[in-house]
Amino acid sequence: MTGWRIVQAALLAVTASACAAVPQNRRARLADPMMSLTDEPLDAARRQKLYDTREGAAGGDGASAGGGCGCQ
Amino acid sequence: MSAAALALAIASPSRLLADDAASGYGDARILDAMGAGLRLQSVMTHITGFDQFGHGYQAQGGPTPSSPGSERLTVFEPQVELVFTQGERVTHRVWIPVDVVTNASPDAIDVVSSASRHVEGGSIDWTTTYRADRQVDISVRSGVHLENPFRSWDSGMSIRRSYADDATVVSASALEVFDWFDHFDIHGDRSGHTDRNGTTGTLGLTQVLTPTTVASINYGLTFQEGTMGNTWNSVPLAAGGRGAELLPAQRMRHALVGRMAQWLPWNGALRLYYRFYADDWGIVAHSMEAELMQRLSPELYVGGTYRFHTQTGASFFTPLAPPGALLRVADSDLAPLDSETVGGKIVVDYPLVGEFRTLHLELACERYVRTNDLRVNIVSWATGFRF
Repeated sequence: MTGWRIVQAALLAVTASACAAVPQNRRARLADPMMSLTDEPLDAARRQKLYDTREGAAGGDGASAGGGCGCQ
Repeated sequence: MSAAALALAIASPSRLLADDAASGYGDARILDAMGAGLRLQSVMTHITGFDQFGHGYQAQGGPTPSSPGSERLTVFEPQVELVFTQGERVTHRVWIPVDVVTNASPDAIDVVSSASRHVEGGSIDWTTTYRADRQVDISVRSGVHLENPFRSWDSGMSIRRSYADDATVVSASALEVFDWFDHFDIHGDRSGHTDRNGTTGTLGLTQVLTPTTVASINYGLTFQEGTMGNTWNSVPLAAGGRGAELLPAQRMRHALVGRMAQWLPWNGALRLYYRFYADDWGIVAHSMEAELMQRLSPELYVGGTYRFHTQTGASFFTPLAPPGALLRVADSDLAPLDSETVGGKIVVDYPLVGEFRTLHLELACERYVRTNDLRVNIVSWATGFRF
């Protein structure tokens, strides 16, 4: 139940803020590689594989659930 | 009609029909873009070593038939990524990961025949992205994975559209995976082949919230059908000895992911991640991660990460299966468990002169610990050039 409330709050925050767009000339901080929402692709791939093959909760978020080790 | 144009026809047929030739989606325009020469944009290499210790009930070789067996293994995983542009609109990404696994899954096969004590696997994955206009990117992806007893093919497409000067990005993707692999019994005897397929669809929204905050939310669904296990994992039986896993032939998985990155006033950044997962095998999982980064100079930053994962087990998970059970699995990955990952990294992006625009170096170390007796030490090193 707590998890669902966190999701609801995140949805509300994202949708409500869409009403006021931040102009491009104020987004310099967002261009820093540290601010990327995802890891560099090869680093993300090796981390995803670590978790996908050791936790029974893979798939559903764009990554293939299965291909590779055959253990899912 | 090209695949990219077909994707748009599905996503927005009225727009395609209204102005096919003049828009970014006309066949002639796409083919013109494809005819331009290739230009290498970046080369990245990544080498990772995994050193794993632990035990699991699915593995044989314990002191008694019902004892968990060893899950000791080491993995050496080099990867290379090449990114090319072809004209102003087309980008190709070629990704080649390789796995060299030793002491792989010391299950029945290893105990009985040692057939998988050394496994080599490799993939090639090709993604082509067509920039239809300033707001819309369309990508098609295909790949193949080859491993000693295993073959896998995947194919997919995605579309991404930005709004409000790229402050909002909406994306959708679909991916189909087909796995074809040798069928073993728990004694290591091979008996033909078996397969499974998986279909995944995702929807995503990324939003710039403030000049220093960006967030995204993604929902994805995966439906799998076929042989859901690796066929050689075993289950300790209450009656004595071991039997094969008995798994459903289908699995439906849902995942909801939220990410946020916040710039910090002292030249740092905080990245937060939360993932909710549920499937129809009874597994419900929550994963949370926080990564704190600090820029030390224009070329160098360091980061520290902590991840916590908790999951319930599959409803038919058991370390000792009763007689007559219609479904049973003892795979420690499907057990109720918590896991923690602690790590750190150093990243250098050093500007160069001439053809090479940037040199990228990255060193990362992590330790992964699971509550049901699994520990992994990970070291990775990345080197790359951007042109």
